Amino acid sequence: MLAFIIRRGLLSLLILFLAVSLLFGMIHIAPGDPASVMLGPRATPELKAEFARRMGLDQPLVMQLGTFYARLAHGDLGVDPFSERKVSEIVFEQLPFTLILVLTAIGGASLVGIPLGCFSAIRRNSLLDRLTAVMSVAFIAIPSFVVALYLLLWLAVSLRWFPAIGAGETGNYADQARHLVLPAVALGLGWVGYIARLVRSSMLEVMEENHIRTARAFGLPERTIIVHYALRIALLPTVTILGMGIGSMLSGALFAEIVFSRPGIGKLLYEAVLTRNYPIVMGAVLVTTGFFVFSTLVSDVVNAMLDPRLRERPGE
Amino acid sequence: MNCKVGQPLPNLPRRKFLHTSSLALLGLAGGGIPGISRAVGGDVLHIRNYQDLSSLDPVSFVSSAEGMVMTAIFQNLLQFRSDGSWDTQPDAAEYFEQLDATRYAFRLKPGQMFTNGHGEMTADDVKFSFERVVDPSMHALNLPDMGPFSHVEVHDRYSGVLVLRSPYAAFIPVAVAGPTGVILSRHAVTAGGGRFTTNPPACSGPYRFKSWQAQRKTVLERNPLWPAGKAPFSQIHVYAMTDEKAAEMAFEAGQLDCARISVESTGPFERDMPPGGSIRILPSGRNYWLGMNRENSALADIRIRQAIQYAIDAQAVVEAAWFGLAPVSTGPIPEGMIGHRERSLIPPAGNPQKARQLLTDAGVTLPLRLRLDVNNAALELTAVQVMQWSLKKVGIEVEIRAQDSSTFLTIGREAVNNRWRDVQLFMQSFTGMADPYYSLTWFSSSQLGIWNWERFSNEEFDRLNQRAIETTDPSERSKMYRHMQDLMEASGCYRFITNGVMPQIYRNTIEPAFRADGYAMLRNIRPAAFRSRS
Repeated sequence: MLAFIIRRGLLSLLILFLAVSLLFGMIHIAPGDPASVMLGPRATPELKAEFARRMGLDQPLVMQLGTFYARLAHGDLGVDPFSERKVSEIVFEQLPFTLILVLTAIGGASLVGIPLGCFSAIRRNSLLDRLTAVMSVAFIAIPSFVVALYLLLWLAVSLRWFPAIGAGETGNYADQARHLVLPAVALGLGWVGYIARLVRSSMLEVMEENHIRTARAFGLPERTIIVHYALRIALLPTVTILGMGIGSMLSGALFAEIVFSRPGIGKLLYEAVLTRNYPIVMGAVLVTTGFFVFSTLVSDVVNAMLDPRLRERPGE
Repeated sequence: MNCKVGQPLPNLPRRKFLHTSSLALLGLAGGGIPGISRAVGGDVLHIRNYQDLSSLDPVSFVSSAEGMVMTAIFQNLLQFRSDGSWDTQPDAAEYFEQLDATRYAFRLKPGQMFTNGHGEMTADDVKFSFERVVDPSMHALNLPDMGPFSHVEVHDRYSGVLVLRSPYAAFIPVAVAGPTGVILSRHAVTAGGGRFTTNPPACSGPYRFKSWQAQRKTVLERNPLWPAGKAPFSQIHVYAMTDEKAAEMAFEAGQLDCARISVESTGPFERDMPPGGSIRILPSGRNYWLGMNRENSALADIRIRQAIQYAIDAQAVVEAAWFGLAPVSTGPIPEGMIGHRERSLIPPAGNPQKARQLLTDAGVTLPLRLRLDVNNAALELTAVQVMQWSLKKVGIEVEIRAQDSSTFLTIGREAVNNRWRDVQLFMQSFTGMADPYYSLTWFSSSQLGIWNWERFSNEEFDRLNQRAIETTDPSERSKMYRHMQDLMEASGCYRFITNGVMPQIYRNTIEPAFRADGYAMLRNIRPAAFRSRS
């Protein structure tokens, strides 16, 4: 198992390096001028040159990339040329808001979606199964930002049960939880349907397999068969998808952060791209890509734990 | 209330629908849930800022978003009045007078204290603050605001003279009363290392800085050392909200007392304002125009450029993109500022017949195909589509090339690449400052290939631009600026569209205060009953 984790870890580092280098090139190829965006007409040629110097843009691209990795090796992501604050400080200040949002959304979606999918498979073709099917497709089909807007209009604007903006007062966990409800529901609702459909189809497949029939033949209770034998295997593709899902939610969190005026890394990255604030873009991209690669690694490891065959196969 | 109601549109009964549906669902659920969202009101002001702060230091702040907070926690020698004009009144100064073309005398009010134990404000603090901005080692982003400022002569504890190297008519509105001219405590800033960002070491305004949470909010609190009495609110919470729609919903949800909203939401809010709310449609001080690159071969003939000027129905553009709320502008200098023109050379609705005649005279084979670059914001895209329609009527077919703001801002820049040669038509905008110099100087020859993308070059314009900034007589200046706008328009390089509007919504529990360009003045906002109490 340890060798498997090391192999996967090294592969993840390589993926991270390639992804970040590629994004670095893409960001710098796009035309744009941060000083003009932020300062408007007051951006004199001297100021623009000063900004280019602060961002290291006066160096060749390869040198810039080299400098970025050299700094990174020392844990330094550079300095924001506008606020003159450390990029690492700015990024890690925002990251917890996005992580808590994404984990709440995906956690909530799993808590609802897995039992729903499981129940649908067990009660195949029942009224609940059909209802779940319809609702799942509806949840998947409705764009998250539409859900977000209507939740906001209904529960925050009209009824005022939940706050419309912000992330809650620092240190007041109840307030923070209230501020988390609407964005997490908006972000995770589509995933409820997706997870439910996935678990249902996996369960149906697994329930037809020989070892389940054998377990039934041995007279094991149906509950034990479902929970300990069928669901364990049926969850494999779901775990893989959840790993990917966390990554996709990191980008999907952007709309929730904008609509609900929440702080977060998505909003930070979006605004930095618009203003061509390259140090912030690189810092945020590195952290989000790192998190995505890490979540995929974790899902691989969990899969390997659930199914020992995966770690025993050569080349995996 | 300064409101203009646009054409009535069908009313969408969204609120009624939401109430009914939610009540029905509540009934189905069999019970109610107590209201848990926090409502605004009381002694705390909740207000939207259009972007997050990056620095409150006069050498490194970048926008009006910071300026709004800075003028609440610091003092200037003079401050803008909150009556919608660009007039100034004393702030920290009890006396301020222009001695001659390059010298301004001041005397501070005694007893004005900096917070955090940094002592009384003195003339030395004024010297430190002004000279710090022009100190080359500071690399101040706002250095241009100071113009030819040289130094401060300190005469005694409270008085001194600000000295310029040459006359600079924009000195008071831009440097003395603007955020670049806020007075810092030498002791506090020096002790803190000489620079700061979002953690000012000492304040002196009616409010003092309490906290800043990135991308969330800035909290100001009443400054107990403020000598001019008790500030109206115990706290001001300034929320960083880039999205106007989010701000509108937050206002409807009762979480904001005051917010700038989008132009397209103005009509719906006027028709269906939440109870206890009001709206003001203020001038924005932004300048929108269609520019034409005279050095592009397709537009080299002035008759073609003039045909485009006459073909565009600017009235229709503002009706569509600004919902008729903004008037057609007569030039970059907005109403209420020195040099504003009463009328432009081209009529607001244009003259398509004259446009066709000019194209015929120029020997143009129709259809004439041109490109139009624009920032991909919804408002600008709507505006250029109407222009496209206007131009098509006279035989000019326009291809719209939308791009994100950062890319768009490089298209006319010689230093970036050669793309400026291909630029033909473009819709551009920028927000001016408190002086007409900053509305027009970008069109001078020295700005060719920097901000002057039209490649407009006129010796008389350049000469007047220099003379006007050195002239202190307002009527003389005004005459010069009006003529400069005539020269711009006569070149055929510009079709002025509008100076825009800034709609602000607020609760009737407050008395809002806005600057002449529509930005909120935090220190002047009061609870509605405050005036009668005090």
